[in-house]
Amino acid sequence: MSDIERELEEELHRVLDPMSARPIPPRRSIQAHRTLKTLMGGAGAALTIKVLTGVAVAAAAATVAGVATTGSLNPAIWGQRVSQQVSSCQKTLAAGQHGIGDCVSDFSSQHGAAVASAARHQGNGNSNGSTKGNGISNGNGNPNGNGNSNGHSKDHLKVQATTPATLEPEASDPVAGHPPARITRGP
Amino acid sequence: MLEEEGSREKGVLPEPPVEPERYEPGSEPDFERLYRNTYRRILGTLIALVRDVPTAEDCAQETFERAYRNWSSWRPDAPVEAWLHRIAINVAISDRRHQRIRQAGEVIRRLGRPAPGPDPSLVAERSELFRAVSKLPTKQAAALVLRHYHGYTNREIAAALGVPEQTVASRLATARKHLQVVLGR
Repeated sequence: MSDIERELEEELHRVLDPMSARPIPPRRSIQAHRTLKTLMGGAGAALTIKVLTGVAVAAAAATVAGVATTGSLNPAIWGQRVSQQVSSCQKTLAAGQHGIGDCVSDFSSQHGAAVASAARHQGNGNSNGSTKGNGISNGNGNPNGNGNSNGHSKDHLKVQATTPATLEPEASDPVAGHPPARITRGP
Repeated sequence: MLEEEGSREKGVLPEPPVEPERYEPGSEPDFERLYRNTYRRILGTLIALVRDVPTAEDCAQETFERAYRNWSSWRPDAPVEAWLHRIAINVAISDRRHQRIRQAGEVIRRLGRPAPGPDPSLVAERSELFRAVSKLPTKQAAALVLRHYHGYTNREIAAALGVPEQTVASRLATARKHLQVVLGR
C-alpha cells in the first residue's frame, strides 16, 4: 500500500466514522410520499382537482336546486313532488284531452329558474324551464364545473307521440287572442 | 463481505456477525432490517460524494426509497449492499448534477454580490485530502471510498457499480494520480 493510499484510508475513517455513527433516522415513508405526489404533483394534480371540483359542484347544484324547489334536503322528496305534480295534472285532464304540458309548466319553470340560480352560484349553469309538457327535473353536473339542468321530461315526447296527427286546423283559438286568418283573392 | 452487519470501523460500529444477513426480496420486515444494517455505510459513502451531511442524509433516504420500489425485483444471488451502493452512487451523481444547475442559478441570482460562505455546521470536516476526494468525478470518488473506506476488493466494487473490474482499477489509478497532483506529492 502506497503512502497516498494509507493516508487516504486514515483520512476517510477520521472524517466519516463519527458522522456515519450518528443515530439512524426512521426510514422515509414511501406510501404517504407517493400518495401525496399523486394528489399534489404532476398531471395527476390537475385531474384530481378537476374531478373533485366537478363532484363538489354537481352535488352542491343538485342540493341547492332541490332544496329551492321542494324545500327539503331529501332527494326522495324532490322526486315525490314531481310525481305528485304530474299525476295531479293528469287527473285534471278532461276526457279526450291530451298533454299535461301547460299544467306542469308553472312547476317546471319554477324549478328551472331555481336550478339556473343555483348553477350560476356554483359556476357555469344552464337551465331550461320549458313549458312543453315537462315534469321531471334533472340536475346534472359534469367534471368541468358546469351545472346543467333541464326541466324536460321524456313525457314530452311520449305525449307528442300519442297525440293523433290531424290535418284539420284547430277548431278555435284556445286563448282567443288571434282572429282567424282570412284568405281573400286580391284585385 | 458486502452483506455483513455494521461496519469494520474500530470501536464505533458493532462488529460484523459471523453469518451473513439473508433477506427475502419484497419482504417489508427484511427491508426494514436491511435499512438498519446498511444505513450508516451508505451514508458514509454519500458524505464523501456530496457536499454536506444533510444532503448526504437526504440522498441516503432517496437511495432507500428507490431500493424499496425495486425491492421485490432484487435477486438474492447479487450482494444486497452492492446493489444499494450502486443506487446510492446514482443518486449522488444525480445530486451533483442538480447541484451544478443550482449553483449556476445562484451565481446569476447574486451577480455582483459576494458569495456567502457555507454553513460550517452543515459541512463535513474536511482536510485538504478529503476536499480533493470530494472534487473528483463521482464515479472515481465512489471507487476510492468503496476501496479505501469500506475495504471492498476491486471485484466487489465492479459488481456494485456494474462495470468490469478493469474499469474499477482504471478509475482508482486515475483518482490516485489526480490526488497526488492536487496534493503535490
